[in-house]
Amino acid sequence: MARAHETTSGTLLPTNSPAAVWAAIGAVLFAAQAGAFFGFVVGVLGDLLTVTPLPGAAFVTAVEAAVEQIPTLLSRDVIPNDGYWNGSRWVGTFLGLRPSLAWGIRAALVYLYAFAFAGWGILGYRLYRREYRTADWTPRDDMVDRFRGHKWGIFGLVVVFMFVVMAVFAPVLGPTTVDENMRNSYSNEITYWDSDAEAVQTTLVGEANLASQSRGDNPERVLPMEYDDFGRFHPFGTLPSGQDLFTFIVSGSRLSLVIGLLSVGLSAGIAASLALVAAYYKGRTDLGLVLASDSVMAMPQLLLLIMLTTVLSGTWLAEIYSGGFVLALIFAGTGWTYMWRSLRGPALQVAERQWIDAAQSFGQRPLTIMRKHMLPYITGYLLIYGSMTLGGAIISIAGLSYLGLGIAPPTPEWGRAINLGQDYVATGSWHISLIPGLLITLVVTGFNALGDGVRDAIDPQSDATTEDGAAGRGGGA
Amino acid sequence: MNKLKYLGKRLLMSVPVVWLGASMTWFIIFMGPVDPASRLLSEGQTRNPAAYEAAQIQLGLNQPPLQHYLDWMSNLAVFDLGQTWLLYQGSNVNALILDFLPRTLWLGFWSVLIAVFVGVPLGFYAGMRSNTASDYVASMGGIVWRAMPNFWLAIMLLTVLGSAYTLAAGDFFALNFDWQTIGPNLDSISGSPDLSRLDTVDGFLAATKKVLPAAVVLGSASMGNEMRIGRTAVLEVRNEDYIDLAKAKGVSKRALVWKHILRNALVPLVPIITSEAFLLIGGSVLVETVFGINGIGNLFYQAAIQGDLPLVGTLMYVFILMIVGINLIQDLLYTLIDPRVGLEGS
Repeated sequence: MARAHETTSGTLLPTNSPAAVWAAIGAVLFAAQAGAFFGFVVGVLGDLLTVTPLPGAAFVTAVEAAVEQIPTLLSRDVIPNDGYWNGSRWVGTFLGLRPSLAWGIRAALVYLYAFAFAGWGILGYRLYRREYRTADWTPRDDMVDRFRGHKWGIFGLVVVFMFVVMAVFAPVLGPTTVDENMRNSYSNEITYWDSDAEAVQTTLVGEANLASQSRGDNPERVLPMEYDDFGRFHPFGTLPSGQDLFTFIVSGSRLSLVIGLLSVGLSAGIAASLALVAAYYKGRTDLGLVLASDSVMAMPQLLLLIMLTTVLSGTWLAEIYSGGFVLALIFAGTGWTYMWRSLRGPALQVAERQWIDAAQSFGQRPLTIMRKHMLPYITGYLLIYGSMTLGGAIISIAGLSYLGLGIAPPTPEWGRAINLGQDYVATGSWHISLIPGLLITLVVTGFNALGDGVRDAIDPQSDATTEDGAAGRGGGA
Repeated sequence: MNKLKYLGKRLLMSVPVVWLGASMTWFIIFMGPVDPASRLLSEGQTRNPAAYEAAQIQLGLNQPPLQHYLDWMSNLAVFDLGQTWLLYQGSNVNALILDFLPRTLWLGFWSVLIAVFVGVPLGFYAGMRSNTASDYVASMGGIVWRAMPNFWLAIMLLTVLGSAYTLAAGDFFALNFDWQTIGPNLDSISGSPDLSRLDTVDGFLAATKKVLPAAVVLGSASMGNEMRIGRTAVLEVRNEDYIDLAKAKGVSKRALVWKHILRNALVPLVPIITSEAFLLIGGSVLVETVFGINGIGNLFYQAAIQGDLPLVGTLMYVFILMIVGINLIQDLLYTLIDPRVGLEGS
């Protein structure tokens, strides 16, 4: 700690503690978005509670209402993009700008904010490493430094980060909301400039959607970065139903990310604990687990997913989060095998080490040995396979919803957008299938690149991939 | 002798795998939350207790679960797969599978072939010229190609092949590319290949052309994998001591590349090529659906969405057998190629 005092004197601000400055910056950044953060947490809880037979749903709705009162900087109210042309200027948009510009400013600010937050995090880590940590060097420093020099990994990290930001800020990023534009389009009105009547008129969003459908070469179709006849801006154009594709995709990204994280987290947990058990006890336990995982792997993952979603549809489980929760469970139940296969080798190697013998001779309990002396050595591999499996999960979810399975239809999902647009790819409405597909490709490439980067950072010698890359490809979807 | 022992062990191990897999399938289908008997009946019939009971008796669900399980498993073991209930109603499942399976196998054959003959050379090429511009282009292409969702790629490819004529019909293009008229003429780009005339040259070409786009899509993920592994394998082998020794001995460059580098680099590719079965069989559902090929993957999907759960279970058993069989072939290939297998004890 003495070292810290010697070097912190250089702070510009009248405080002697850079950590306080850092924490203050963090608090300011967080305060700007506190409302959105709590809204998200409460929203997810509410989704879970309203469909499960658990008490507390009423309480959550009350909290939801309270949370909405917390002001947020980056919100649709502060930087609105839905307004109308009254014949001479735009009314209701941010600073009277064109809706496209207003939306662009909001989207740019969201990403600026997110990158600022990330920068704050990196700053905090470096501050900690330089000023506060007692050790000058730890093995982890080398990993971080190696990752910093890994351009491909950094590219993956940036792509993944942008995807996560998209999912987190989904309601703010879209030019309109899922509720207004899709779910309750006939309960919401919009005001627009009717150029024939030369007057400002109002209509229902649902009616407006009907007149901005992208179905092949029809004249009303709305291509990316275009306005429809109602002065609404569509960054990615519209769907065949006239709904906004960008809002659809942004909302779908949140769903994909939540399912992906949940399923990968679960399967990583199962895989890691089983790998430790197999490596520690070896022999029959190991053989039994090999047989069990071989049998699950003998059923092609995508087919198993189809079978299980069919069988489990209609149960109360399938209603949580529009079917996303049960999908995550199925993914975890079928996907752990691939990860377990990849973790088993490293775990077996660790189990051979002398410190395991030593711990045993001290009389430490097996569970403690696994947790304390084995788990830390395989967590790095968990990160690698987790990242690659997440990409695969996104492809699988999209593939299933393309087939009409898994996610219940009105809920936006990337695969469904591809399905909706597939008849129009060769026509003037080419954007509907093309854009979601390109985005999936980009995001999956990002996750794979991140996995590669982490792998090279943790263990530059190894060439670890998920078992033959099968899981990284979502079972062939 | 050791090799035989190793193979025998693998064969023995595959028996419990098939048994466990089939048991899990039985449990999911018949003990799951959905009653297979009621799924088979139409809306009106579900309210009719007599029809419901008849369906239950036909499925054997009126028996105690253990009895039903034993019956089901023994029927599978002797390949008495029964008949369908909803899909192609009342037809014999064995006949149905024999009818649908060849198309999937034909598709799988071409997708493995394309993936191997494009992916492996490309990977070797990238590995031989590592860290050059062409290596980066090839590697990058492989990575992106691998990340594309199959079903999306299928849709895009169908569009490109279907509209190529209009694209190239402009005044500046002398090149008139039209997939329909290259080689044998097809009535439509998508659809099932006609496998009845495979023995004639024309029929063979037509059937091949029909599945070629689907095979490219289905093989895309494997192609990317093979490329990546091939590249790493070549890089690793190039740095081995025996390559230096061969160079010092004055082995010609050609012999060095073909005999010492490429041949050894092939070894790690064997498990990759065979384990593509996972991707191929899983991906066949989506690719066959998009391309309208009446294969076994499409059959499985149709059975699943229409609620013919007994057929789903039976098909799953067939898939399990296929995958376990391919794994055994992989072990066999391994023992042939890699002389070290079976010597290491495990």
